[in-house]
Amino acid sequence: MPLDSDSPVRPALKRPVLRTLRIGCVPLTDAAPLLVAEELGLFDSVGLRVALSLEASWAAIRDKLAFGALDAAHLLGPLPLALAAGLDGVKAKLTVAAGIGANGNTITLSRPLAEALGRFTPPLAASAFAALVRRRDGAGERPLTLAVVFPYSSHNYLLRYWLASGGLDPDRDLRLVTVPPPMVAQRLQDGLIDGFCAGEPWGSQAAALGVGTIALSSGDIWPNHPEKVLAFDAAYAAQDPESAIACTAALIAATRWLEEPANQAEAVRILQRRAFPGLAAPTIAAAFDGMAQGLPQAAPLRFRTATLPRREQAAWFLRQMRRWGHVPAGLSDSAALAPWRQDIWRAAAARLREPEPPIASQPPADLPETA
Amino acid sequence: MPRHDPCLSNDVLSVDRRATTLRVLLVDSDRERAAAVEQGLVTAGCTVVAVAAGIDDLVQRVRDTGAEVIVCGLDDPSRDELEGMRALHRDEPRPVVLFAEKAEPEQIEAALEAGVAAYVVEGMAPARVRPVMEVAIRRFRAHQKLQQELAAARSDLEERKLVDRAKALLMRRDRLSEPEAYRRLRRMAMDRGKRLAAIAASLLQENGAD
Repeated sequence: MPLDSDSPVRPALKRPVLRTLRIGCVPLTDAAPLLVAEELGLFDSVGLRVALSLEASWAAIRDKLAFGALDAAHLLGPLPLALAAGLDGVKAKLTVAAGIGANGNTITLSRPLAEALGRFTPPLAASAFAALVRRRDGAGERPLTLAVVFPYSSHNYLLRYWLASGGLDPDRDLRLVTVPPPMVAQRLQDGLIDGFCAGEPWGSQAAALGVGTIALSSGDIWPNHPEKVLAFDAAYAAQDPESAIACTAALIAATRWLEEPANQAEAVRILQRRAFPGLAAPTIAAAFDGMAQGLPQAAPLRFRTATLPRREQAAWFLRQMRRWGHVPAGLSDSAALAPWRQDIWRAAAARLREPEPPIASQPPADLPETA
Repeated sequence: MPRHDPCLSNDVLSVDRRATTLRVLLVDSDRERAAAVEQGLVTAGCTVVAVAAGIDDLVQRVRDTGAEVIVCGLDDPSRDELEGMRALHRDEPRPVVLFAEKAEPEQIEAALEAGVAAYVVEGMAPARVRPVMEVAIRRFRAHQKLQQELAAARSDLEERKLVDRAKALLMRRDRLSEPEAYRRLRRMAMDRGKRLAAIAASLLQENGAD
């Protein structure tokens, strides 16, 4: 019978068809685990075929995840919250499989603004910055403009927290705008913004060009705060959990490699070749050293300790979104935080015998509403 | 080309698309493509008020041109700035419609379903561009309404908190019961013809409690 004659090939056909996993990332230093996994062949070694694309904006990554042009992405931590809530009309169900990076952003001020603040040692105190804002206001000067990289970002919420801790209302006392990271140094130089909170290497780039002064790092506001995540389209993760686990394992393996000081120079070369052809190696390396430009070493960019996604840490960002009125009151915590799951991470970690990382730090205390 | 086009639902066709012309700000960093897209928009009955590429202050440009809709490439580097304008709603928010050079029809359908207004440039009849924009505008307006409700709910809450604090101050300072403190506040508001929250705020300020 014809069917029987086919039977010898059947076992091979039972293997799932190897589909290409499409992952998007934004060219930033904290995309390193994904770029490294690809360059070192770590995806191949877990049996995955991956197409890793560098995307021009967070909005493009978000949309492509939402309409199925990407299966997974390097994503801003608060973005899965925004997509679960359908903020700005865009809704998508994601699965956060792993954390990518802790710390790694800077608050960088223009040279004139840094000079107006007088001599300071980083980290700059929020109260000193607030005093300058009040002085300017009293003298009738225009309000300062600070840039963040995306509305639903750790950058926006950590910057807002820092400003509020100094007694400022970020919606009233300043102007907050969105500027893509590769453009922040130029805007600073042109005087279109007075400062920014952005991921590395862009703060170090502004400092290297002499147009900006790094005032503090995001890790000074919340030491070892979770930064990006590896998020899957929830339907993809449900349909093909094996690929999601394998991909997460490759990511964890990449963070182990990145953790080795001996590999740092190679990591910088990979980043330079793949993401930042126009930047000097020391500018890219600064983030790994804990912001070399005069900043304390307290909160350097770290990867291996940040891979386990923690819902209770994501909840801090949700509280900030509530505080600033960015999410509807009817949204429940459980619905917003549903994307954060640990089962994929645990399955991946078990394969690599990766121990559960200790909790790096508690989020900063909520500020009183009247601050 | 007889392929399924999700943009043409009955709901959309009922809109009189020739009634008015739409003022469009086209954002595209690729000048050659921008010219082609502009042509398509004009044929679709839109007025392209500006073609912006790599511009420094989009907010200002939107204000200056009086654009009603922003049309932008899916992969344009300006996208996050546009999102920033949309999220920080005091900054001249406008609906954003995306175009992709190539995409599968089912992807565009999924995009519209997810709330992303997008159309494909290649092989698309100009008549199909306009309905996508109208969907985007309608959704945007509905969303704006939601945002305004959100903001109103927030300011209601803040006003209630102010009144509560002013009440507590009166109770402490003048040894009043809560209903007495509330009546005093209400009388002050009526006497001065001001809102309760405004009276509460000035009372707190006078007493150095703010």
